[in-house]
Amino acid sequence: MSARLRTAAIACCALGLAIAGYLAYVHYAGISPVCEIAHGCEKVQSSRWSAVAGVPVALLGLLGYAGILAALLVRGETALTAAAGQALVGAGFSAYLTYREVFTLHAICIWCVISAALMATLAVLTVVRLLRADAPPARRATARTPAPGAAPRAGR
Amino acid sequence: MPTTVQPNRKERRDAARRERVEREAARAAATARRRRLARLGAVLAGAALVVAVLVVVSGSGSGTKPAARTAASGPVAGARETSALLAGIPQHGLTLGRPKAPVRVVEFADLQCPFCRDYSTGVLPRLVRTYVRPGKVRMEFRSLHFIGPDSERAARVAQAAGRQDKLWNVLDLAYRNQGKENSGWATDALLRRLAGAVPGLDVGRVFAARDSAAVTAELRAADRLATTSGVQSTPTFLVGRGSSLKAVDAAGLPAAIEAAVGR
Repeated sequence: MSARLRTAAIACCALGLAIAGYLAYVHYAGISPVCEIAHGCEKVQSSRWSAVAGVPVALLGLLGYAGILAALLVRGETALTAAAGQALVGAGFSAYLTYREVFTLHAICIWCVISAALMATLAVLTVVRLLRADAPPARRATARTPAPGAAPRAGR
Repeated sequence: MPTTVQPNRKERRDAARRERVEREAARAAATARRRRLARLGAVLAGAALVVAVLVVVSGSGSGTKPAARTAASGPVAGARETSALLAGIPQHGLTLGRPKAPVRVVEFADLQCPFCRDYSTGVLPRLVRTYVRPGKVRMEFRSLHFIGPDSERAARVAQAAGRQDKLWNVLDLAYRNQGKENSGWATDALLRRLAGAVPGLDVGRVFAARDSAAVTAELRAADRLATTSGVQSTPTFLVGRGSSLKAVDAAGLPAAIEAAVGR
């Protein structure tokens, strides 16, 4: 189960990296993103919320997906926590940006919406992985229970 | 009569050991559950803090988009959208739309003004599609340039493009690539690139005409009209039929147009 969660999360990261990479590319190339569905990409990408302290949100997204992917590829409790933490930050900030798109800019950037959905999915997957990180203690204890006939260890 | 089999000593010891292992397992499970929840709580709190910082920082922008958005080379941002918005709509000098359209809208704006940009990118496209393209409304642009030198540089190029009936294309592109007020964003290089992104516009002629007496006279005429019309801020619009025009701001423009069209 954990392996499947990890695989799904890695797939989300790969998709997210592709989208964020594309948006970062169009930002620095000074071209308009392909936006055939909701037609709001240009407005969203040129709004005040398209950058944080001068850093394009697309670049932040790219770094975020890369960071989550790196944490997914590493074993250990710290990596699990780092993946969940980054995904939660990404999902939270994406939710805020989506709110701005809908209620302030009245424009939808379809790439941003897909990215927000990916971040939300990543947040769920990584949090579930984090919660399941400890193997169920009951099973561990059961596994340690001596088989019938084995020499008892307790009380030695 | 059935006899009850008493567990022997070894069986009793095994049962006691199983019970102890189960107790330990339950205790370990509770500890692990607490540990997982504590870890999740810490991660959630940390994430919420970081998101709050990002929200505060992202909302504190100036509201303007740096001109750096359009790179020194390569395609111009918004060129495709501008062309799609205006393609096929007649332009004559300062006017966009059918010359005999019954409703007239006169816009007073500064190409450096962020509110004018917000109107141009957020409201204008819908007005163009709904009223201008069907021939119900014609729009005129009166270029003001009071914010600073970037305003005048951009206004002169737009005005000169109007002499080739491409004023509205340059306006739209200038707004889409607007920089921070008085940051020096309206460089000749940028303006040349914006003009170069307008299909059918002779950029050489634009730059030859931008400092001409005719362009200067048109800008002065716009200033005079703004003064006589009582324009206090940008963007301001005069809307109506014939000579009966009413001044409105961007928020009131759609309703004013609707009222004028429906009369």
